[in-house]
Amino acid sequence: MRRPLLVLALLASPAVAQDHPDLSGFWSPDFGPVERPEDLMDALPDGVGMVEDTGVAEFPRGEFGELVLTPEALEHAEQWTADDEMTLQRVCLPPSIVYAIQGPFPWEVYQTPELIVFKYEYFDQTRLVFMDGRDHPGEDYPHSKMGFSTGHWEGEDLVVETTHIAASTITNNGLDHTDQIVMRERYRLVDDGARLVATQWFSDPAVIENDGARFISWSKREGEHVYPYECDPSFALEYQSIGEE
Amino acid sequence: MHYKLVASVALVGALAPAASAHHSFAVFFDETRTVEIEGVVTAYRFTNPHGTIAVDVTNAAGEIEHWRVETTAPVVLRRRGWDRNSLRAGQQVRITGWPARDGKPYLRLQGAFDENGRPVGQAFAEGED
Repeated sequence: MRRPLLVLALLASPAVAQDHPDLSGFWSPDFGPVERPEDLMDALPDGVGMVEDTGVAEFPRGEFGELVLTPEALEHAEQWTADDEMTLQRVCLPPSIVYAIQGPFPWEVYQTPELIVFKYEYFDQTRLVFMDGRDHPGEDYPHSKMGFSTGHWEGEDLVVETTHIAASTITNNGLDHTDQIVMRERYRLVDDGARLVATQWFSDPAVIENDGARFISWSKREGEHVYPYECDPSFALEYQSIGEE
Repeated sequence: MHYKLVASVALVGALAPAASAHHSFAVFFDETRTVEIEGVVTAYRFTNPHGTIAVDVTNAAGEIEHWRVETTAPVVLRRRGWDRNSLRAGQQVRITGWPARDGKPYLRLQGAFDENGRPVGQAFAEGED
């Protein structure tokens, strides 16, 4: 009698039923130095330009890491004015996932075999990662700041492909991507599930002549949840009033 | 003069800021210097994408300078012990932060201390969010 019970217990186990790592939980960004798994970095395409602006560091004006900008993108970045972003109309516009993924905010993962949900604190954004094998939609499908994502497992790694991302910023200093950008992320649990690391690769030949990549790390925090963001655009008025009082 | 530069590359290296929210910290603020101001809070906002603290500072000539202190996003501040009642208008405060690159009386919060010298919430240091 014990053998059937054991089989039933194994079938009921999420680890067996799903047979993949469980990324569920609350993930908080790591800002200190973090070891990068060599094979994870090796899985990036050859020749990518690394963008080391994750976490504590951000790029000042005119710095883009190893990205090689097209002449048009470089001209746009040189003409970009930071104060233009500090307006009622723009200050609460969420950036796309291309930039937002490396931000200093936590996020939550809800995982099922067919669908994985990424719930971000930053601007209250949510991503659906379809794991059911569906294709990406045609060009007429709406573009959004979070894009359209499908995922699959490669060994222990979750690989997410994203298209249909609305035009937005790459480095938050004047380098913008088009709505033709494509992005691939590779997520992996490390340290017995205490940390989640990822690489982000993106390609947008209209603005960068080489492909770009970031490495990002988060730590798991039990019992925490993301807060509502509820951006208040009147912050722009505060900024505009500085020195005028 | 109730505000002063306390620039130190070594000090700042140990107290690097968390990355900014909607706009780039590095574009707006000088991460190689820190500034300290003392004055009276005239307004305090606790809303995203950034909180703000308005502080009236009396300079060496006896004139009032109106400073604005930008905080990181309140969603982050909440995890550091801040809330919308952490400061009040009329309160004496001492604030350290990274100054604006364009010279405006504007800085990014590193740490705040009340009239008794007690820290408000937790200061920002490398390795913390």
